[in-house]
Order: sequence, then C-alpha cells, then structure tokens
Amino acid sequence: MLKTRIIPCLDVIKNKVVKGVNFKNIRVMGNAVEMAKYYSLSGADELCMLDINASYQNRKTFIKTVESIAKVINIPLTVGGGVSDLSDIADLLNAGADKVSINSAAVKNPKLIRQASLRHGSQCIVVAIDGKRHKNKMKVVIKGGREITKNELITWAKQVQSLGAGEILMTSMDTDGVQNGFDSNMLKKVTSSVSIPVIASGGVGSLEHFYLGHLTKSTGLLAASVFHARKFKIKTVKKYLSSKGVPVRL
Amino acid sequence: MKKKVIGLIDGQSGNIGSINKAIKDIIKGRPYQLKIIKSNFNYTSFDKIILPGQGAYATLMSNLKKLKIIQPLKKYLENNSSYLGICVGMQILSDWGYEDKTTRGLGIISGDIKKFKNKKLIIPHMGWNTINLNKDDTIITNNFDKKDFYFVHSYIFQNIKKSDVLAFTLYGQKFPSIVKKGNIYGVQFHPEKSHKHGLNLIKNYILKS
Repeated sequence: MLKTRIIPCLDVIKNKVVKGVNFKNIRVMGNAVEMAKYYSLSGADELCMLDINASYQNRKTFIKTVESIAKVINIPLTVGGGVSDLSDIADLLNAGADKVSINSAAVKNPKLIRQASLRHGSQCIVVAIDGKRHKNKMKVVIKGGREITKNELITWAKQVQSLGAGEILMTSMDTDGVQNGFDSNMLKKVTSSVSIPVIASGGVGSLEHFYLGHLTKSTGLLAASVFHARKFKIKTVKKYLSSKGVPVRL
Repeated sequence: MKKKVIGLIDGQSGNIGSINKAIKDIIKGRPYQLKIIKSNFNYTSFDKIILPGQGAYATLMSNLKKLKIIQPLKKYLENNSSYLGICVGMQILSDWGYEDKTTRGLGIISGDIKKFKNKKLIIPHMGWNTINLNKDDTIITNNFDKKDFYFVHSYIFQNIKKSDVLAFTLYGQKFPSIVKKGNIYGVQFHPEKSHKHGLNLIKNYILKS
C-alpha cells in the first residue's frame, strides 16, 4: 500500500534554516546540511527546501547548499523558492534536486509548467500553490500572501495539472504559521478536483493535525516548525498515524 | 587482481548524481571501477551495467539512439550480461512502450509498458510502497520482503511472463516492481532514493550478483 509521506520543510537563506513570520523576526534554526542529514536519518520520506530570500547574492550559496544536501541524503529532495525560468530549474536539478517547485513564476507564465515538464518529465515538476480566502472565494496568492492574483484556486489547480505538473504543494495562507491545523476545507476542494498527488502544507501544530491532513486525501504532509523546534520527532508522528490506521513507512 | 568494470549509462534521462555517488561509496576500497557510458561502447569490456532513468520511455529510447548506445546495449543484454535497470531503465527492457507515443523497446523481457488501468488512482504513483517477493534471489536478501521503496511513475510492466517477475507491488492493481531474466534485473522504484534498503539493494547487486 502506498504510504502517506511525512515531509519536513527547510526554509533556507544561503546555508541556514530560518524561521520568520512574514519575513519579520527571522531566526536561525540551524545549519541546512546538518538538519537535512538528521531528517533523512530519522525517517523523513522526502525533504523539501525553499530559498526564501532568493536574491542574486544569496543564490550561489543556496545552490551549493543544495549540492551538499543531495550528497548526504538518500531520500527525494524537492527544491523551490525563486525559480523563475527553465535555466533555474535546470540549475537545481543539476545540483541534485529530484523535483523542483515553481510558484509565482508559474502564475505569471503558466507555459513554464508545460515547457519544464516536457523537458524534464512531469515527475520532477511540482507546482506550489498558495491559497487564500478573499471575498468568499478561494484565490491564488503570491509574494507570501501579500498579492492576490486573479486566479481562482480550483481552476488554477486543474490548470497546472493539465499543463503537466506532477504534483501540487498546497499551502493555505489562512492557516500557515499559526499551528491550528491544516486547512482541511481548502485541501479537500483541491484533492477532489485533481488526480495528481497533493502535499498539504501550512498550519500543523499537533499530532492530530497530521491525521486530519491525511483525511483530506493529501498524500504528503509537510511541516516545518514542529520538527525544527523538536516538538515532535518524525517517528512520533508516524507511530501516531499508524495507530490511527494510516499507512506510513516505519 | 583485475578490477571488475561497472558501467553507468547516462541516458540524459534525469540526474545520475545520486546513483553515481551510491556506487562510488559501495566500491570504495573494493576491486571495482566505475565508468560513465555516454556514447557507443565496447560491450565486452563491462562486467555490470546500470541504467537509471526518469521521465518518458520514448525520450530515453531516443536519447540512447542519438548517443549510439542502443546497439552495444542490446548485444550486451542478448549475451545475458549483468544489468540493473532503474525505473525507465527497467521499462525499456520490454517490447513496447505506450507513453506519449508507441515506441519499440529493447525486447529483452517480453511485455509492454502501459498506464495504470484504474482511472480513479492518483497518478503518478508517487511515494513509498511495499515490495512483495515472489521468490528469493541473490540480489534480494530475505530482508527485503515487505519493505518499502520509493516509487514515482505512471506506467507499469504489463503482459509479462510470471516467471520474469521477482517482486510485485500493489497500487490499485498488482504490478511488477522487480523483474529478472537471467542476469538482467529491473526495478520500477528508485533504490538510490530509497534510503538504507535501496542502498543495500544496489550494494547486493554490485557485490553479490
């Protein structure tokens, strides 16, 4: 049986894992390579890392960090943040990423999804979607939720699938960072409209939240703070899910 | 002592970095050497060949054709020489692939590569799933039965002879996750991404088979 994936996410600046709410009060949580190695050894099913400050100056160091991480882990690695064109995608894959996640560049230029999936295969193109409720509608937002686009969330999710995305990384900006649980309502709407895998992101604070995330039919459950702050070990989450009858890799 | 030569084919079908590193770590301090195959090669000078692949069947076949790898590889396989195909590297052992367009494969293990039948499945089949051994084999120690490996694919080996299936996996249906014919192996999952069991499988293939 296919297992539900538990995916720690590293928000990275250069080679450091950081935590900050809306880019304010940024706190260093640790060295990215060390943390990646730790998660790979302690049972993570995949690893996700995002360049959250993808400036020209920081990019080189970030790519070196990707290379170092790819060398020390042997689980799949998804890399995103600041991916704007085909050459960024190629750079990250060459650095050792197994999948590349595209966010606002896909919104601005949907053709990028098709070009990237034709060139590298759908299996390595993840489209990250940030969703937010606005005037009773679920919309796609960019720039960390500060800019609401004209795209309706479900229409966009279907569109990215038809353009060749292999997976959707779905973050609800309404629940992200507050640890009150995944946005079950938003996630269910997305998983029931597409047939590609969906990774749930944004809002995990308790063990039960992981279980509720699984119930949305998301096949990957992503979390950052609860793992970085050592609130839970990955093994603890998996044992809990297993006790609730969720298939996990133990 | 003469070193055994392992060939790693770079079919420009995804990154070979992880598998390259895994092999290097395994053969370190052992009588093996690793050569990357990127073009026409002398098939008699390799003891083992590994072909990793991601993406589409047709793309890998056309890349191998352009790189002039098809002919020597076919000869190598027809000689029943030791081979490990990973994901699409396994799929092209079949007669035909039906991804994107109908493409002739290497025709080493009879069968076709077709999409999962169940339309309600989440596709690609992406993540960790269990392998169930039909029989034991030198590359697969007993310990691998019911263990999880990392999969990412939408197409599976169909119309294959039962005797060529070493292990199967369940996802909406039963499908072959390890195939074997003589000294030729194929795995549908990615051992290089499958943590310790995956690395052990590569190690067993190199050192024991």
